[in-house]
Amino acid sequence: MSFAYVRRTLAALLLSAVLLVTGCSTTTAPPASSSSSAPSETVSTQVLPGSEFNKFFPSASGEFDRVYTQEKEGFAEAKLKQNGNDVAMLAISDTASTPAAVQKYQQSRKSIAGYPAVEVGSTQTAILVAERFQVKAISRDSSFTGTDREAWLQKFDLNGLARLQ
Amino acid sequence: MSKPINQLVDELPTSNITTFALKSLDFAIPGQWDNLVGWDNTIRTVTQETDDALIQMVSDRAIALYSAKSQGYQQALWLYQTIDSVGSTLGTAALANKVGEKVPLLGFLNKLTPKADKAQTLDLALKLVVEIVAFCKVNGIPGDSIGDFLKALGDYSGGALTRMAALVAFDGLIPLGPDFIRLVTNKLDNLSPSELQKNAGFKKIGELIPGNSAQGKLNFVGESFDSVKGWMNNFIQSRDLTPQKVSSSLQNFIDVSDDKLDYLAAFLDMSTNYYEHTGVQTLARRLIDRAVAEI
Repeated sequence: MSFAYVRRTLAALLLSAVLLVTGCSTTTAPPASSSSSAPSETVSTQVLPGSEFNKFFPSASGEFDRVYTQEKEGFAEAKLKQNGNDVAMLAISDTASTPAAVQKYQQSRKSIAGYPAVEVGSTQTAILVAERFQVKAISRDSSFTGTDREAWLQKFDLNGLARLQ
Repeated sequence: MSKPINQLVDELPTSNITTFALKSLDFAIPGQWDNLVGWDNTIRTVTQETDDALIQMVSDRAIALYSAKSQGYQQALWLYQTIDSVGSTLGTAALANKVGEKVPLLGFLNKLTPKADKAQTLDLALKLVVEIVAFCKVNGIPGDSIGDFLKALGDYSGGALTRMAALVAFDGLIPLGPDFIRLVTNKLDNLSPSELQKNAGFKKIGELIPGNSAQGKLNFVGESFDSVKGWMNNFIQSRDLTPQKVSSSLQNFIDVSDDKLDYLAAFLDMSTNYYEHTGVQTLARRLIDRAVAEI
């Protein structure tokens, strides 16, 4: 279902969004609940901010539309839409937080754009760039095949990402 | 610490007043909400994967991300829960035996107190602020430009869209009438910072509202409402939504007449937790989206 009309009417959000950029980056009070902190390795302090990754995502045009959906520490993700329907997720993550994620590439016999590649489950194709950054294309519709995932992975600015350290 | 995300999703009810109320909105947003419950079921549905080992890896990572306080997910849930729990609630015992049959609103009239317009206005405005702040806590500020960010905000679907539809229907149209957007705008324009500070909801979540003073926070509340007025207007007009249409759909499970809409609003306010319910579902989806991409 397309919500293009929503976006058209969101122009008025501009001012609020500016406020939000300020508001969201402000450190605020924690929830009232007492809580033990999570294991420190959940998100490593060494990870790069997700904002570093946005510029390496492929642009989309024609019947495709790219909507950035998440930008967290060591992680950025965008949704790929085709004619208004969600067909895939595209993501870059910093494996500094998830060293176990790197292990699967050690048995990799395949490469995409010169980087080690693996299939994960039945919906994901992933590559490891500069032995650190994991780039994934994840199908969310059966029309988006493994061939499509591979093609979209190659549209990332992988060499630019490789220079990011 | 608060409950882990898998337990929260496992404990989501499949059938209560909240789920009935949300399902009643299907006429306005067909097919958008399917009350996805159960942690394992949610992972399988979102990822469309079936391999048990893979599902377990996604689960472990998502649970770890949620439990890391610095990641903001717990704050988002706290906001959803807290804004839902402002004010009194009808005892669940009184409602437990009503599921499956029509709730006779007349039987609850003596327990219901409709809110004054000013209190309802602030309830609506603060829920909207919670939505915007929680969005940032969960998703960060996606993209490199304001345009990217607005696109992310505008891409609401599923549970998140249902939450916004419920806000418009149950906290706007039913209690305040078809002209609620103008009404709320006027009330907010004339609200003083001290009035805001007296509000029960603000007392709880005020710390998390951007702004260095009560005036600053009031400005943010006003700006937030202003910024989504256009979206709400369009949502209402494109679907030709009216208080009567919303109440008519609710009448599938609540016995209520159209001259008691203020009591219907009070009943929904006191018997549902639609922000928390759909908030848990939104959080779960976003955590799973991230976990599956990171493993």
